[in-house]
Amino acid sequence: MNISKEDAEQSLTLIEQTTRQTTKSLIASYESITLIIWGFVWLIAFLGTHFFLKWVWLIWMSLCFVGFLTSFLFYYFRYRAGTPTKNPEAGKIGRKYFWYWVILFIYLSIWLKILSPISGLKTNAFICSVIMFSWVTSGIWSGSTYLVLLGSIVTAVILTGFYLIPISYYSLWMALAGSLPIIATGLYIKLRWRQ
Amino acid sequence: MAQLNNIIHQPARLQIMSALMALDNNELADFTYLKKLLKLTDGNLGAHLAKLEEADYIKIEKTFVDRKPKTYIKLTGKGRDAFAEHIKALKKIIKGA
Repeated sequence: MNISKEDAEQSLTLIEQTTRQTTKSLIASYESITLIIWGFVWLIAFLGTHFFLKWVWLIWMSLCFVGFLTSFLFYYFRYRAGTPTKNPEAGKIGRKYFWYWVILFIYLSIWLKILSPISGLKTNAFICSVIMFSWVTSGIWSGSTYLVLLGSIVTAVILTGFYLIPISYYSLWMALAGSLPIIATGLYIKLRWRQ
Repeated sequence: MAQLNNIIHQPARLQIMSALMALDNNELADFTYLKKLLKLTDGNLGAHLAKLEEADYIKIEKTFVDRKPKTYIKLTGKGRDAFAEHIKALKKIIKGA
């Protein structure tokens, strides 16, 4: 079988386009909703922190619970409705993610204990930046450029809030400037990357 | 020496193979998802899949999810190798070797 150089180039372009389109559509199917859910958790939790500071732990704990529950329900119903792909190793991957977050939570607690006494502002900036660190590193491992970019942008928002914004406006800044890129990325992926 | 593959080179089949290559090793793609993704009709996709299955490049799995019939497709090891070989051959042509 003989083909011209132009035909070969066209075929390679078609392969690259299809591979990219497949990856994007799968991210749109699975990850975009998670970003939107956690973007709203972030928004409401920081607004709550700004307006009801004395309830801060209750606000964060209950909203994180709501975030995990909503994410779980989304994946459950998504599975019932029919997922675009089926992975026999999904359970194994899910367990790895679960333990990854459990271990991260344990290490966060250890670091906070080591660093104590630590102010509420520092605690918050520290936890948020460690979570963004996990987004950037998992983005590097999985080849998800969007996750690396988003994690870096939100880290820049955290640093700006920590060093440049007056302390009384920090939570408000984080609610608006921090959640916006997360929700916007989730919506953009959902609307533009689906097939 | 890398050789172009007649079965894979057809554009629709090339797209099917590329989409399946984008998945994890043991991951299977849903028939309806592939149909929408590649903008093919049921009959068209079915015919191309049959050709690829005949060559043992893919495996088709029919199952029931919530009592609804579902068809899933996955690449075989042979399919993965054939596709890699095909890409090598294309790159060689571009380089003019």
